Amino acid sequence: MNVDLQQPIGGEFEAPHDHEHHLGPMQRLDSPMRRFRDDDEIDYLVVGVGSAGGVLLQRLARGGFKVVGLEAGPFWDTERDWVSDEKGSHKLYWEDMRITGGTDPLTFGANNSGKGVGGGSVHWAAFTPRFHPSDFEVYTRDGLGADWPISYWDLKPYYELLELEMPVAGPAQFPWGDPHGYAYGAHPMGGVGDTLIDGCTRLGIRVSAGGPVAILSGSRNDRPHCIYRGFCIQGCKVGAKASTLITHVPDAIRNGAEVRSLSMASRIELGKNNRVSGVHYFNREGRARFQKAKAVIVSGYAIETPRLLLNSACAEYPNGLANSSDTVGRYLMAQAGTVVLGRFDQLIRMYKAPPAHALTEEFYETDPKRDFARGFAIQTVGPLPIAFAKQMMAARGAWGWGMRRVMMDYNHWSAWGVLGEILPWPENRVTLSVERDEFGIRIPHISFNLHDNDKKLIDWAQKKTEEIMRAAGATEVLHEARYAHLVGAARMGSDPATSVCDKFGRTHDIANLFICDGSVLPTQGSANPGLTIQALAARTADYLISQGATIFNSDKRDMTPPPIRRHLSPPGTHWKGVPRLA
Amino acid sequence: MPRRQRHWAGRPPYLERPHFQFSSATLNGARPVNPERLPIDLRTGAPMRSRSQPGYYPGYCTLSQQKFWDAATRETIRKRVEETPPIRFFTPGEARLMEILCEHMMPQNDRDAAHKIPVLPFIDERLFHKKTPGYRFEDMPPDWDAYRLGLQAIEQMSRANHGRGFLELSWREQDELLKLIHDGKPMPGAEEIWKRMPPHRYWGLVIQDCVEMYYSHPFAWDEIGFGGPAYPRAYIRLEGGEPEPWEVDEKRYEWKAPPSCVSDPVEPEIATHKFHPPHGQGGTH
Ligand SMILES: Cc1cc2nc3c(=O)[nH]c(=O)nc-3n(C[C@H](O)[C@H](O)[C@H](O)COP(=O)(O)OP(=O)(O)OC[C@H]3O[C@@H](n4cnc5c(N)ncnc54)[C@H](O)[C@@H]3O)c2cc1C
Ligand code: SF4
Repeated sequence: MNVDLQQPIGGEFEAPHDHEHHLGPMQRLDSPMRRFRDDDEIDYLVVGVGSAGGVLLQRLARGGFKVVGLEAGPFWDTERDWVSDEKGSHKLYWEDMRITGGTDPLTFGANNSGKGVGGGSVHWAAFTPRFHPSDFEVYTRDGLGADWPISYWDLKPYYELLELEMPVAGPAQFPWGDPHGYAYGAHPMGGVGDTLIDGCTRLGIRVSAGGPVAILSGSRNDRPHCIYRGFCIQGCKVGAKASTLITHVPDAIRNGAEVRSLSMASRIELGKNNRVSGVHYFNREGRARFQKAKAVIVSGYAIETPRLLLNSACAEYPNGLANSSDTVGRYLMAQAGTVVLGRFDQLIRMYKAPPAHALTEEFYETDPKRDFARGFAIQTVGPLPIAFAKQMMAARGAWGWGMRRVMMDYNHWSAWGVLGEILPWPENRVTLSVERDEFGIRIPHISFNLHDNDKKLIDWAQKKTEEIMRAAGATEVLHEARYAHLVGAARMGSDPATSVCDKFGRTHDIANLFICDGSVLPTQGSANPGLTIQALAARTADYLISQGATIFNSDKRDMTPPPIRRHLSPPGTHWKGVPRLA
Repeated sequence: MPRRQRHWAGRPPYLERPHFQFSSATLNGARPVNPERLPIDLRTGAPMRSRSQPGYYPGYCTLSQQKFWDAATRETIRKRVEETPPIRFFTPGEARLMEILCEHMMPQNDRDAAHKIPVLPFIDERLFHKKTPGYRFEDMPPDWDAYRLGLQAIEQMSRANHGRGFLELSWREQDELLKLIHDGKPMPGAEEIWKRMPPHRYWGLVIQDCVEMYYSHPFAWDEIGFGGPAYPRAYIRLEGGEPEPWEVDEKRYEWKAPPSCVSDPVEPEIATHKFHPPHGQGGTH
């Protein structure tokens, strides 16, 4: 048979003409969605259907509760709404105005949270390493930062669950932290990963190839495997990369949850007896509405969560709801995300393969030989042309003909990202600006400042990464300082005077108000936070399910850990995969 | 029945009717480009003629692959190539200045008139619709004001130091004036404006918009050998920088920047000046 390589197999790709809601080329939203009325008193109201919110909603719906997720952004149809294009993907990011300051201002928009069902998991690169056991006791070990109110071992069963639910592909043996293996096979290498492996191997540094990433290396159910097209950060139309939009939200809807998209929460209402009674929001027509609920969980991301709490200030809580400790908005963290770029004589073509496909955590832990606490990871990144041009603007001051020249060499460059731990500091914080958004809600102001330990760590990490890049054979090595992954700003802790919520996410101040997203992290390690955020959401869900009646009817706090409900995983995920290591 | 998505067979329509409204070709009439402003071919030492496709991937054409793209992407790219937005934010006077500014930021004299990439119209579109990148530095005015202030500063500095407006300066004088903003040490003459808007932040704003508009165009993808959209078709040759069957191999040529330009130093000054934190692009992890 003659195959015409000039023609797509199966014919040209047409716009979907059915009336179905597409979640990738094969998966459809397959059940009608339950709708609640504003004056139905629902059980749990979740604000934000992102990484954490998606998992929470799914668990609570399966647990039999009446649950609604308010989501400021749209409910994506991946075939109609998403494109394989950098510039065309701005709508995935939270691009509402935020004002940024401090000595080391952070940038937002495409660099941070998502907007729309799935939140940041829609545009994440999907690196999914676990935190190390040491991350949960930084203060005890290093005398800096904070300890968590839980240990790694409390979270481990949830890591294992989520690694199968997403699922995560990676090597059979991952040697760092608590060593473990992955159920789905590692991915093939791209050009960027090859340089990282070369550099590390020449210097005797262990490196993990082909994961851990929440990207399918083999098709599963109605989700195809990765096609190595490299547009992960623009949303994976293939459905190979996990996002709660495609992994958890369909199951939530099947089990009776409502996802109310294009609904922006503006204020949480404090009712009688120091309990919240529901949430004010603007619906898709821009009209002000109020949804009643027995309990509220805020899952809006490390900026929007404190913003909402601060904007919900009332007579009883003049400094912001659940903020009697004055910690709401404080201890905001970003990871050092310095990008190190190397030019090679040979071609790399770094747009191929997912940006996330190899990493090393060899420098993760505190090393007494270095003059700072904690450490960093080094990971592959694969900037597409616009991102790379901006890096060249920053790293090299490129413009004009210099920009044109270096861009003509795009295919010769490889890029890695440092992921370094920046410690929690009280003055790194979210406050409210006097400016207001389109709904009249005050917008956030963020102040960020590096401290001595942070600066030393960033400097050391950059030099080490450059050394490895040179060992890999790069003839020119540049770097761009930047930050990634915001967490903190409504942290959990055992002491109500220095934290916002307890180890289950329940605010110390108000018994039926919870927080569940990256905001609750007391420290952040050098691992990308997404897996930890989703694992914590599954744990909080188990608590909410166990304690339902108590939460709805009393202010009693039962601190016994809930049983782990493995049967709540989305169907066909639990015990699946090919485990290679016990 | 669904309407079949249109795509171009043979010579694409954008070549039949070039529609770029503010390209220098229209501003200067179709006058041939001053050779001083053309890059130099290092083999011959002569100015390189404008061509349809600069870069090291001759014959490579991402648009020729459209039938392998999904419909939503195809439509997004079609619009970008075929429908240049009108100028609505900038006044005609500002637009003339901006057009020249964009030419310095992303010079395109090595491209022939039919293959210039519109930059200004897309910046104008963003500002007209008040689209933000999702943040603003606390020491900066809103982007739309920053653009206007920047143009005023450029004009004021030109008059203070040369006694002429920016558009009357030679190409090299213009390039040098801009280079000083790039360096964070703008010429005297606009101190009041730079007090309200740090020059390095203004620079970052403009150059980021310029590269976003330029490198989002398929002509630019062809120039740099980027694969472009790739769904539903996959990449299959991930390693060793190998081309896909429909990509082409690199064919390098040596060139240097036009003599009238200072934007391509022989030794790149590696981030000695502080651009921190440079941008909000999440192209990484
Ligand atoms: C480019 C990029 C790459 C990344 N790569 C990785 C990676 O490889 N690995 C990793 O682990 N992490 C990665 N991250 C980070 C990761 O995406 C986030 O840490 C994670 O998604 C945060 O989860 P969250 O639940 O806290 O918030 P989100 O997932 O952002 O969810 C918050 C949701 O709440 C909604 N919302 C907010 N406010 C309101 C309101 N008032 N009313 C209604 N809805 C509201 C938002 O629209 C959003 O959908 C990356 C981030 C970026 C920007
Ligand atoms: S590289 Fe793989 S995971 Fe990433 S967008 Fe493409 S298909 Fe999806």
